[in-house]
Amino acid sequence: MNPAVVEQLRKIAGRDAVLDRPEDLMLYEYDAGIRKSAPGAVVFPRTTEQVSQIMRLASAAQVPVVARGAGTGLSGGSISKEGGIVVAFSRMKRILEIDVENQRAVVQPGVVNLQLSEHVSHLGLYFAPDPSSQKACTIGGNVAENSGGPHTLMYGVTVNHVTGLEVVMPSGEVVNFGGKAAESYGYDLTGFFVGSEGTIGITTAITVKLLRKPEKVATLLGIFETVDEAAQTVSAITAAGITPAALEMLDGWTLRTIEAYCHAGYPLDAGAVLLIELDGLRESVEEQAEAVQAVCLQQKAREVRRAKTEEERALLWKGRKTAFGALGRVSPSYYTQDGVVPRSKIPATLAHIGEVSKKYDLIIGNIFHAGDGNLHPLILFDIRFPDQLERALAASKDILEYCIAVGGSITGEHGVGMEKRDLMPVLFTEEDLDVMASLRSAFNSENLLNPDKLLPTPRMCREISGAARNPVLVQEGM
Amino acid sequence: MSTATTTRFGAELRAICDAGYVIEDPALLRQHQVLGVVPLTVVTPGSADETAAVMRVANEHGLNVVPAGGFTAQNMGRKPVQVDVLLSTSRLRDVEHYDAADLTIGVGAGWTVANLAAKVAADNLYFPGDPALPERATVGGLLATGFCGPHRHGYGGLRDYCIGVRFVTGGGRKAKGGGRVVKNVAGYDMMKLLIGSYGTLGFITSASFKLFPAPRQTRTFIAEFSGAAEAVQFRNHVLRSPLDPICLELVSPDARQLLHGFGSDGPWLVLLRAAGSDTVLARYRAELGPAVARELDGIEEQEAWRALSNFSHTVEKRCPQSLLLSLQLPLREVGPILQQLATVAGPLRLKHAVVGRFGVGHLLAALWQPTGSTVPAKAFTDALSGLRHRLPIDASLAVLDCPSEGRADIAWVATPTHVESMRVVKKVLDPNDILNHGRFLF
Repeated sequence: MNPAVVEQLRKIAGRDAVLDRPEDLMLYEYDAGIRKSAPGAVVFPRTTEQVSQIMRLASAAQVPVVARGAGTGLSGGSISKEGGIVVAFSRMKRILEIDVENQRAVVQPGVVNLQLSEHVSHLGLYFAPDPSSQKACTIGGNVAENSGGPHTLMYGVTVNHVTGLEVVMPSGEVVNFGGKAAESYGYDLTGFFVGSEGTIGITTAITVKLLRKPEKVATLLGIFETVDEAAQTVSAITAAGITPAALEMLDGWTLRTIEAYCHAGYPLDAGAVLLIELDGLRESVEEQAEAVQAVCLQQKAREVRRAKTEEERALLWKGRKTAFGALGRVSPSYYTQDGVVPRSKIPATLAHIGEVSKKYDLIIGNIFHAGDGNLHPLILFDIRFPDQLERALAASKDILEYCIAVGGSITGEHGVGMEKRDLMPVLFTEEDLDVMASLRSAFNSENLLNPDKLLPTPRMCREISGAARNPVLVQEGM
Repeated sequence: MSTATTTRFGAELRAICDAGYVIEDPALLRQHQVLGVVPLTVVTPGSADETAAVMRVANEHGLNVVPAGGFTAQNMGRKPVQVDVLLSTSRLRDVEHYDAADLTIGVGAGWTVANLAAKVAADNLYFPGDPALPERATVGGLLATGFCGPHRHGYGGLRDYCIGVRFVTGGGRKAKGGGRVVKNVAGYDMMKLLIGSYGTLGFITSASFKLFPAPRQTRTFIAEFSGAAEAVQFRNHVLRSPLDPICLELVSPDARQLLHGFGSDGPWLVLLRAAGSDTVLARYRAELGPAVARELDGIEEQEAWRALSNFSHTVEKRCPQSLLLSLQLPLREVGPILQQLATVAGPLRLKHAVVGRFGVGHLLAALWQPTGSTVPAKAFTDALSGLRHRLPIDASLAVLDCPSEGRADIAWVATPTHVESMRVVKKVLDPNDILNHGRFLF
């Protein structure tokens, strides 16, 4: 990077707030997905004013900018364009306000998701979006990607919990969208901004809803002989008029891998399990727990267990939430997909994933948010063997195209980022994408804010149908 | 505009839609007035493609286009200078997708809310949109106005359960956001831009929604309070409790007079609607305690909620010269705003009535002149500006209707959101400003 720009960054944020040595930058060239790209500098602002000055500098110097929280994203959303500026929010991590009466918190983007819930726990409140990475991921990142989590089945994704934003626009101007009211008149720019993947502006203060903790929580584990029986049960539960707070599915291979790692108490010989959580009013939870149990047994569940203590419940969830760590023990690399299908298509989609696994000769585990049809096929491969990477990418594309074909989407909560933008033209028409691109250009006219994310470049639009390899990886020589 | 010009674009419109769907007969046009303005044409496209073609013609000729559904919310906004094309959704009545097992549905924008609700009710599912006049209000209009009724409390707003939208931009481009699945973050969230945009950005052609299991049993608990402060206190008690009602509605004494079935006189009411088994309802009874004066179920219950959903329509019908406001407030500001309304209305000799889902900070307020008295039109504009000056930080306000004399001078929307950023969106989606030109924000 131009040393003069680095010097300017130091003037803005302080001498200890900028990294530009290659060995330091290496830590910022990746996220939790599989892409890499080295930034030119990383800057750690402490104030909104500094973010604004950084934006002005980037614009004047024509250097791309990307915001970064904890780097736990799975779609490359927080990876810089080669040589760009990473604005890392690890020094803007204050909870600015807890407003109990209005059921809101105002936080800086670097606040860790789980920390907010822990901070307000003594008030009987919590922040509902709960990505698996919630111990590390930041609320700024959640806003950028519109993150979900297991409990989004009942409570919705991040956008359903954000009511106001302070945003630094590419010009450096600081603007406000919405506030503490649940909704605001005029165009809902708060809702539009959430999930815009850092392409419209950078948020520096976020107003979120705090929910009252439920009076009662029941966590059940439905154990099935086959994946198909478990998948059929998902629809049967909703058909019975029950909306669980969370409804997760783990297939046999995945649960055995997790069990070996964290001893969550999952049965080693099952074909699949459903992890079902109900919450709310005590009486209502008890009735629903009984009903869910009955549905599972009707659908040939071998057994339905219910967590008797908070420790047992925590253990069941620990298994679910540490799944990705467990996989690290059995495979050098894995590729997590995020496709969504209509709930009734889950059994057929899982069968298709089984065929894809055979076709590309790769192990694919399934651990996912079954209740809302959000699949997370985990494709195992070894990145040291280029043919395996290629097969993993092809398998992934195959699965996502299937999701689209049955009426679904390519991402439920991870975002499009770099990795799925070349599939956007399968999901949207050129005109749809053109409208989105014109909105991006209107706010981000020089395309310096997180370029090459979310929307395909025109070149990719044309090449997608014949592209067997991912253009990004080709560029990177992978 | 001369007759010749009208004919010219009329012919182009007829080339797009079948001639039967382009109305130019003056007698028929008079039935489609927007705030007293007779449109030059009424066009009813049969598809998104036709809509896009109409919109392109409108752009070429610089025509003012007013999107229309069931005509239940056209009283909002400034009187249009001219309506060249009234663009109706009434032929957009396809079912794009529906599988009860998926708990989602996608329908054309011309579906009425009542028909949509009835269709899914047959499968024991529930569509929570509850606007005034659901038999006439359309899906497109519901989204464009962003209107929410009492069930907003328990089911969230349209921004929470609309999962996909197809529309034609003011510039004539076909576009979509979201899709058919309940969880989807691919691409920009266009639904959010369209919801509550009052037809100023695009013409909605279809939309998809998340559905909910229909409650098997509901009950409404009614509590009475001598003042607004006590009602707000009761709300806070409910919000802090483990209870999870589907509606929590405030009704002011004067609102009771306007609405049918609420008694012509009496104190403030709070209506709480709960869903669940007998055991669950018993728990509500125990938690709510002696505050509850009576309970409603069955037809009586349904009618009470229908009356509350219809509040805005009732006001327009019974008090034609009234100011009707919708307020979105942080929860803490509900009490103070109720006081401000009284402070503003009293000296101007206006009566005022309030209903609203005050557990989520949404109120509807009507100000009108009492029977037998004559209040100058300025009283309404004074009341509005008085209220706007007292509007708390983070609150927003939309005027849904006002007496005709004040219509030209009213600022229809007050919002904490950066207005220039909204203008950027408007410029992109409706570059020639042909959609509802000059009626709302811009």
